[in-house]
Amino acid sequence: MVAALGRWANSKARDYAYALGFFLLVLKEVALFLRRRQVAFHVLVLQILFTGVEALSVISLIALSIGAVIIVEGSTVLPRFGQTSLLHSILIVVITRELGPILTAFIIIARSGTAIATELGNMVVSHEVEAYLAVGINPISYLVVPRVLGVTISVMALTVYFNLFGLAGSFIVAQLIHPVPFLEYFATLMRTLQPRDILSSVLKSFVFGVITSVVATFHGFKVSASVTEIPRAAIKAVGQGFVLCFLADAVITLVYYL
Amino acid sequence: MDPIVSLENIRLTLGGFEALRDISVSFTEGRSTVIMGPSGCGKSTLLKVAAGLVPPDDGQVRFHGRDVFQMSERALLAMRRHCGFVFQDGALWENKTLFENLALPLQVHFSHLPEAERNRRVVRTLERVGMEGSAGDRPAALSGGVKKIASLLRALVTEPGLLFMDEPTLSIDHAMSEHIHRIIHDLKARGTTIIAVTHDAQLTSVLADDLVVMDAGRVIAAGPFDEVKRSRVARVRAILSEVLKDIASYDTDLLELLDTDAP
Repeated sequence: MVAALGRWANSKARDYAYALGFFLLVLKEVALFLRRRQVAFHVLVLQILFTGVEALSVISLIALSIGAVIIVEGSTVLPRFGQTSLLHSILIVVITRELGPILTAFIIIARSGTAIATELGNMVVSHEVEAYLAVGINPISYLVVPRVLGVTISVMALTVYFNLFGLAGSFIVAQLIHPVPFLEYFATLMRTLQPRDILSSVLKSFVFGVITSVVATFHGFKVSASVTEIPRAAIKAVGQGFVLCFLADAVITLVYYL
Repeated sequence: MDPIVSLENIRLTLGGFEALRDISVSFTEGRSTVIMGPSGCGKSTLLKVAAGLVPPDDGQVRFHGRDVFQMSERALLAMRRHCGFVFQDGALWENKTLFENLALPLQVHFSHLPEAERNRRVVRTLERVGMEGSAGDRPAALSGGVKKIASLLRALVTEPGLLFMDEPTLSIDHAMSEHIHRIIHDLKARGTTIIAVTHDAQLTSVLADDLVVMDAGRVIAAGPFDEVKRSRVARVRAILSEVLKDIASYDTDLLELLDTDAP
């Protein structure tokens, strides 16, 4: 029993050390990305296209819906407590600081995280990664770094896009409930919006982007020999991505209110 | 002559299985070596370790006397420029066209050349085997034999002095196999160092200057082809007969076939 526990602890410690080593290697290669004579730049462009541009329609729909839901709920509940004036603050807090970054990250984890883990897993099984090594291409700098940069840039840009659409969605619904002139509505929102709200949103989207991409590439590369490992890698990329984003969200929010 | 690649006391465990056990063997520049052994004995793993693609748990791999896994990034890139590797399943990059598969190694190692010149080299390489018509195809659209040849071309496009090949003629038809034999024959005639894992008796007869026989993760015989072929060690003789018998489709005495000089 004790021996089994020891083996389990030893194996976990090795796994965490391996994951940490992978993360540090990725950080090093990211730092060197611009300095290197790059053949990977077009991979970065393709990743931004796939993760960022192709996700715009999904993000738009979800952001509009969330904005609409908040304004309907807020304009129904808040007047009962005489707190109608808080509606804009709630919109800013919920969309910009919380839901914008985390929902964008979730959409990207589900969409691109699974795709990256699956693609890299397939490349490992079919020896394509070894083929990159054989011709002198570092798989971390060629396959991982463009995906990490592409996903992180995309999550940050999509979060801004989510925030704008969320606030725009709330404006459209507000017109149905209590018509407000466009300029007045956005002027009030802008007065409510604090620089630290923007900072929080940017910081969260950056951290979530890094988590999403590093976790997905890590699990893609952990596939060793069999195609049956690939769906498991995709599931782990999603599960761990969600959990780590939630944890990071909690930490950043706690720091924000300290 | 000095060895171009040498392996010293290599041990490697994969998934709890001891794939390579205390292997020490060296490969001489300008000579062709064939590695043989029963399926699962560690031939492909040995080839990948020798090429510096898989690090061993223990032991050293030296390329021109320098430890491959301790090399600087620049030295490693220079080594890769000098080496080509043909994978058993082709391992072409599925998200790239055939042209892009051949162009990428040139982009890495010949970035100083204008893109137009690199592209001309790719086209010339494809034309040599009459595959220029498939340049825009993705690997999924190619047959197994064409993939094998494409994988060989990708390894050769940078004109390496050392070529590693893992079963270059396995699971392909006779015509394609002949095609690959001719390419390899030319390479050998030009003095390219070749280290190949193969069960192909005809290819072995054309190619092998040296022979390495493996069994259960160990090298049980290594040396000049004629010496190993005439080994009196029962296990070596059994493996040579058994391995070749499984693949060959003719009744010739297989060990005699190995004595022939040309295809």
